[in-house]
Amino acid sequence: MNGIVKNSDLAPTSAASARAPLPAPSPPSRLGVLRGQARLVVLPVIAAALVITGWEAVVRIKQIPNTLLPAPSAVAIRLTETLPFLLGQAVPTTLETIASFLISMVLGISLAVLICKSRLMRDALYPNIVLFQLIPKIALAPLFIVWLGIGSTSRITFGVFISFFPVVVATLTGLTSVDRDLLRLCKAVGADESRIYAKVRFPAAVPHLFSGLKIAITFAMIGVIVGEFITAQAGLGYMILFAASQAEMTLIFASIVVLCVIGLVLYGIIVMAEALALKKYGA
Amino acid sequence: MLAQVETFKAITAARVRKVYETPSGPVEAVAEAGFEIARGDFVSILGPSGCGKSTLMLMIAGLESTTSGTITLDGLQVSGPQTDAGMMFQDPTLLPWRSVLDNVLFPIDMRGAVSSESRTRAESLLRMVDLWSFRDKRPRELSGGMRQRVALARALVNDPRILLMDEPFSALDAITRDEMGYALARIWDTTRKTAIFITHSIREAIFLSDRVLVMGRRPSTIIEDVRIPFERPRDPSIEADPRFNELYLHLKASIHRTTGAQ
Repeated sequence: MNGIVKNSDLAPTSAASARAPLPAPSPPSRLGVLRGQARLVVLPVIAAALVITGWEAVVRIKQIPNTLLPAPSAVAIRLTETLPFLLGQAVPTTLETIASFLISMVLGISLAVLICKSRLMRDALYPNIVLFQLIPKIALAPLFIVWLGIGSTSRITFGVFISFFPVVVATLTGLTSVDRDLLRLCKAVGADESRIYAKVRFPAAVPHLFSGLKIAITFAMIGVIVGEFITAQAGLGYMILFAASQAEMTLIFASIVVLCVIGLVLYGIIVMAEALALKKYGA
Repeated sequence: MLAQVETFKAITAARVRKVYETPSGPVEAVAEAGFEIARGDFVSILGPSGCGKSTLMLMIAGLESTTSGTITLDGLQVSGPQTDAGMMFQDPTLLPWRSVLDNVLFPIDMRGAVSSESRTRAESLLRMVDLWSFRDKRPRELSGGMRQRVALARALVNDPRILLMDEPFSALDAITRDEMGYALARIWDTTRKTAIFITHSIREAIFLSDRVLVMGRRPSTIIEDVRIPFERPRDPSIEADPRFNELYLHLKASIHRTTGAQ
């Protein structure tokens, strides 16, 4: 009897004490200030800063010459000195990357629709596309120079060549991800093919499409830079190669920094477009 | 003349056979199915998994061809997709990017025929399935049972002549499933559309139907045709009726005979 009374006495108390800490802030962890969104930004930045600081320290302590491995500070100084020049070199690289990407997008989506629509096309093309993925496509870059010369055309074409496969594969996955019963329903209500694409298949493919586009933009940039390595006319790829021939290590790193920033911006634009599209078409 | 129209068979199937060609040889999905369904009847098809129930439904909808035999709807032979068959599947198959109301309007939108009348009709259907206050929500914000109610409203939005339902409640939990059964019975009473309802649940079949057909496995033909005598509108209390249990045991025995025959 006594025990039962004790228990029922305890029940509200323990419930109250269990509820009490909820509105109060949770106990601080070792990185107590870092929580939520801020943590996601601050932690990677700290990690990167540590690596750069370590790099700087190693170069200074070991007195590594600039021609072998420049310190981050030396790269930063060189970058500020040469920024207008490097930005000028960045223009063709950026434009050619964007051109490659846009062509890849149109070509990739069209090919995916073709493969999705026609059984014959799927059976004939899809195994080849998968097989093509396995080829080290960079190795084919010189061919494009032979065929298309050393101008923009060959660099853009090569960029398209290595970046459109992910778009095809991702878009096709999306277009064919539609539930069979839903397609049956579309047929049963008398919908024509173009409407099924516009209202069902394409919206369903949107999340997949963007995963392909994110790969495509990085591949397009790789394609263009490899093209610049070979054709050696202008652009950041050419700058890197030229600086290497002059043992200008700080200039190489400065060019790479500019390339990284451009890559991040282009990628960021796609991520933002994706966020907008997923708001509408996400599950 | 009027009597003739009244007794007109809404759906007939005569010696319907379906054979799928597969890489490992032909597979007989439906051996020889034959039945007639009167207009306004709610008919359940019961049978073990893989007995060809779904194939039969797709053939009635004109989405699969018959290998031999004929199916008619309102006296006309089915030879292509039937645009006035409302359909429900095991999954709600809603479009996640559309609101509940736009999902209900989907069949009409797919024909490019959305009008203010169809909108009004969709809205009244949403009231009927008790989802009016959810009309602007996305499917992901709804429970499984609510999603199937959206699918039911969508199946009815074209005002179809027949309603074809392929195990629409089998992905739901037992409690929701019972509630959906009651809701369907109530909604069906207001529309009285000729309906084919495919299910594994004997109780669900008895509760909802005017007739229950049992389909056997190999050869997949109709092996039993039972009329359900309960008055409409139906109340969950009929499950306590001794006849309900009698029918249940009888149907259970026929299904066991077909699975045991293997």
